[in-house]
Amino acid sequence: MDPVLEAQRDQTHSASEMDPILEALDPDRTRPADVLHSNSLSLAFGEKAVLSDVNISFRRGTITALIGPTGCGKSTFLRTINRMNDKVSGFRHGGDVSLEGESIWAPTRNLLLLRRRVGMLFQRPNPFPMSIKDNVVAGVKAHQIAKGKQLDVVAEERLRQVGLWDAIKDRLNESPYRLSGGQQQLLCLARALAVGPEVLLLDEPTSSLDPISTEVVEALLRELTPALTLIIVTHNLGQARRVSDNTMFLYQGELVEHGPTAQLFEHPKEAHTENYVTGRIG
Amino acid sequence: MSAFVPFVALVLTVFVLAFKAWPAITVNGVHFLVGSSWKPGNVYGAVSTTGGVAHPFGSSYGAWPAIAGTLESSAIAIVIAVPVSIGAAFALTERLPRWLAEILRSAIEILAGVPSVLLGLWGALTLGPLLANDVYPIVANHMPDVPFFSFFRGPTGHGEGLLTSGIVLSLMIIPIVASTTRNLFAQVPALPKEGGEALGMTDWEVGRKITIPWVRAGIIGATVLGLGRALGETIAVAMISGSLLNTIAPNIYGTMGTVAATLVTQLDSAFADGTGFEVRTLAELAVVLVIVVLIVNTVARIIVRRTGHLAAPVGGVI
Repeated sequence: MDPVLEAQRDQTHSASEMDPILEALDPDRTRPADVLHSNSLSLAFGEKAVLSDVNISFRRGTITALIGPTGCGKSTFLRTINRMNDKVSGFRHGGDVSLEGESIWAPTRNLLLLRRRVGMLFQRPNPFPMSIKDNVVAGVKAHQIAKGKQLDVVAEERLRQVGLWDAIKDRLNESPYRLSGGQQQLLCLARALAVGPEVLLLDEPTSSLDPISTEVVEALLRELTPALTLIIVTHNLGQARRVSDNTMFLYQGELVEHGPTAQLFEHPKEAHTENYVTGRIG
Repeated sequence: MSAFVPFVALVLTVFVLAFKAWPAITVNGVHFLVGSSWKPGNVYGAVSTTGGVAHPFGSSYGAWPAIAGTLESSAIAIVIAVPVSIGAAFALTERLPRWLAEILRSAIEILAGVPSVLLGLWGALTLGPLLANDVYPIVANHMPDVPFFSFFRGPTGHGEGLLTSGIVLSLMIIPIVASTTRNLFAQVPALPKEGGEALGMTDWEVGRKITIPWVRAGIIGATVLGLGRALGETIAVAMISGSLLNTIAPNIYGTMGTVAATLVTQLDSAFADGTGFEVRTLAELAVVLVIVVLIVNTVARIIVRRTGHLAAPVGGVI
């Protein structure tokens, strides 16, 4: 494995054995350790059941990879967490998903605020038809987090965070569609980060990117923890192994197995998991 | 080959009109564009000759009221039609259940096929008096007496006039703009819209910041198409505007005339001019209309080019 990634991974792992003094400074110390919890969640479109009885918790500041063959319900599960499925006709859910203890479907829940807290990065870059700078701050403006000159600061900060600033600082008012695919995806990441989410959902974020851009995005994802909690759907088992702390394996609409990534890949408990991670089913 | 037919037809039309109008252009001069009097002169009396061109004694043609009326009524039509059309297109693609959207969509397309003489008759007999009795006075009495808004004050007339013409014109171009915009909206890919939703934007923000800009060039194109229709619309405006020759509407309710309406209402009497000068003047008026339409189209193209650099890739890479 890449030694840089390895070092970063050690850093995040050492968070749990932190010095008590440092722990007292942790801004999230009073919050529940499990930021998201799925409680016997079942999902269906019309008569067609997609997922049944998924029970899993997502620990704050970790990266969870969501793997499984095509059609196993990975994306549906992911898109349920920020309620993107709600307006799909026929979508039904049983059980519950809670964000910090409160159901995402609670009547008191503000959908726009939920989506500010739970951001999303898509399979393919989807910049908006506006300048690069306006793309970065689109969410910031919508949520009225900042205005005027502050927006320039936000744009620079977030573009630096994703490592795009030096490459495009002179092109902030140009079209995002002239950027390379990898740069566009980083721009979308900067846009998602700009509203300050706690959770980031990634739906095969590198599936349309070249290997070098993929590497850049993967390295960035590691840097986003432990401030953020990441859930990444991926078809790329190597990617799951490289970036994630935990892995959950979905198969035919069921959560077959979940656990620490190394354990799931090297000592799977279930036969289906072993068949999938060794490439015997796909 | 057939692609050249419209172009050849346009060039021929303009050329024939200009050829026919040339003597009138030389006699009427710049006064034709800036003057406000439309006087055929004494068509049964002595014939005068100016620069070798024969015309009735006392004839003097200034088309400025007609040009201004054309621009004003078309501007009102566009100001009403574009927001309504975009709203309708948005409702049809994003809001309404599919069965209702289909019904309303065919209703819009049927509206596009209603002959303008019917809309003109309805405007003159029903809509105009209704607005003049129940709506215009309320608006006129509540407008502040400051520049721009004072144009909405004053006598409201009996329903024939500038605003009624603009409203009926907007009904004629809404189907054009709305159905084009609906088709454009339907082509906007889901991914950027979902990106906006996932960021916590409201549907309204997604529409305003993503869907509309995505197809901005197409909407401008549809607007120009509608504007072309409004500038050239003849019979309905002739029935509703009051068809005056020498008057610029003193306020937004005032009676007036347009270039196209002048052409249709004056042609018959123009043939009474034995020198043929009035017919030539009407040809000149037609040339003016063509030029106005061409200018509007050119300006629209420039706008598309100016705002186009941030637009989505054509065909949508996403």
